[in-house]
Amino acid sequence: MRLEISDITKTFKTKKAVNQFSMTIEKGECVGLIGPNGAGKSTLIQIIADILEADQGEIRLDGKPIATMKREIGYLPQYPNFYQWMTAAETLFFMGELSGLTKHELKRDIPDILTRVGLAGEEDSKVGTFSGGMKQRLGIAQALLHKPSFVLMDEPVSALDPIGRREVLNLIQAIKEETTVLFSTHILNDAEEICERFVVIKSGEKIEDTTKNGLLNRNRDVAIQMMIGTGNNSWWEHVKQLPYVQKVNVFGNKAQIYVNNIELDKNKLLGEALQHHIDIRNFEVGGTETIEEIFLDLVVGV
Amino acid sequence: MNTFSVLAKKELSQTIREFKIIWLPLVFMLIGATQPIMMYYLPSILKMLGGLDGITIDPSMTQVSGAEVMASTIDAQFNQLGTIILVVALMGVIQSEKANGMLSFILTRPVSTLSFVWSKVVSQFVFLALCLSVGFLTSYGYAALLFSTVPWGELLLSMLSYFVWLLFVVSFVVMVSTIFNGQGIIALIGIAFLFFCTVTAGLHPILAMFSPAGMSLQSVYLLSTGTFDPKIGWNLLVSVLWIGVTIGVTYFWIAKKKFQK
Repeated sequence: MRLEISDITKTFKTKKAVNQFSMTIEKGECVGLIGPNGAGKSTLIQIIADILEADQGEIRLDGKPIATMKREIGYLPQYPNFYQWMTAAETLFFMGELSGLTKHELKRDIPDILTRVGLAGEEDSKVGTFSGGMKQRLGIAQALLHKPSFVLMDEPVSALDPIGRREVLNLIQAIKEETTVLFSTHILNDAEEICERFVVIKSGEKIEDTTKNGLLNRNRDVAIQMMIGTGNNSWWEHVKQLPYVQKVNVFGNKAQIYVNNIELDKNKLLGEALQHHIDIRNFEVGGTETIEEIFLDLVVGV
Repeated sequence: MNTFSVLAKKELSQTIREFKIIWLPLVFMLIGATQPIMMYYLPSILKMLGGLDGITIDPSMTQVSGAEVMASTIDAQFNQLGTIILVVALMGVIQSEKANGMLSFILTRPVSTLSFVWSKVVSQFVFLALCLSVGFLTSYGYAALLFSTVPWGELLLSMLSYFVWLLFVVSFVVMVSTIFNGQGIIALIGIAFLFFCTVTAGLHPILAMFSPAGMSLQSVYLLSTGTFDPKIGWNLLVSVLWIGVTIGVTYFWIAKKKFQK
């Protein structure tokens, strides 16, 4: 399913929650919508799920307005909530019937999906007794039950403990083979792990739309990372004096060394270190920033 | 199975799980029994309290028929305590779905707004009509036992005409429950407006013409006089219009997603 979001704007009273947001998601793609709290992620997801009405712009799934394609959407809200008096199986039955599944299909699929989300054995427990994590799992079960071709998830793992988080990430990993997935998160590692593509949103505007490698390469700030044994601290002073070294940032026995030409100068530096009988623990050429830092730069720095 | 029946079935199982199906008919049974019993014992109570030189009660005043007893049951019980109970039973019907997020959740499914609104109004109306029927029949039983029997036709017609008012009550409270978010304010607006309708309809014939409570008055009129007031056609039309408008507003409110905070 190809999702086209064009020019979505939504204003609450005076606050612009989403501002002229556009993007296209191709069939089978998995996209992470990343942004700090209050960036407009949930608002955008709710507009895509047709819960909120946008002031302007439109959402199309396979070229048709989203309101006519609800059978193809699986939606997980940020805080899934169900009728307290229903059991887990009854909830899935109810939601499944609303999506047009037959009793036969539901009887066959519900035990299976409950097992997949880790709720086997809880079929007949009242939802009112469920913990937050269990409700989240049930929410995921109802989003996947009718085998939608487009799955939309608002913070699917933020409320889970590390074990639950791992299970859910594996689950998303498994469904993304055959489904288009869009999910929001403020935890970058989650997105990094399962998505190829990130869209960064800040103050309702798209500020970055890139792949993981694109993000890493674009901001690559090349330097030599060097770590030495203790007792060699005069070595850093020596390095600072070298003609081809621009700058040295020392952190105890570790340092980032910026040189004029990384290709030529890295070997010179290594040779210099060997000559001085430095106890080298680590010598690495690479980016100084992790994805986390790039993310921080993007959302805080801009 | 279509979405309307899925949603209506859910409403029914909710009334069972929340024990509404037991306590609500019981309450209406009690309300239905109160008036005939009170009227039956009123003369003896007055006699006991009246003392020697108090008011004299003309015995002919207390010679009321069963139908008149039922008319005053509607007037003094169903239209008052009954209305309060109906509003309290109905006030959360949409409000609670908004509060726990199920309304938005349901609407992300291929469910039309119309079948959602209809499932609410129809299932609540059918259930409350059954509860009220229990009340009517209890009142009928006591009236027949303590006073005189009411003809079946009269009973049935008065119930039917009262149910038109009930349908308005349901659709009105559903509308208020859709628009407002606090249970207190919903109950207040519901009770105040419905009382206002009943009182103004009884005050002046012109006001009665435009009040949605016209059909509940017709029900009283039928029991006290034996026939409907000739304006019944008009009353029915006005009631249907009121019901249409309230359901229309509810539909618009949900379809335009104004229920979102």
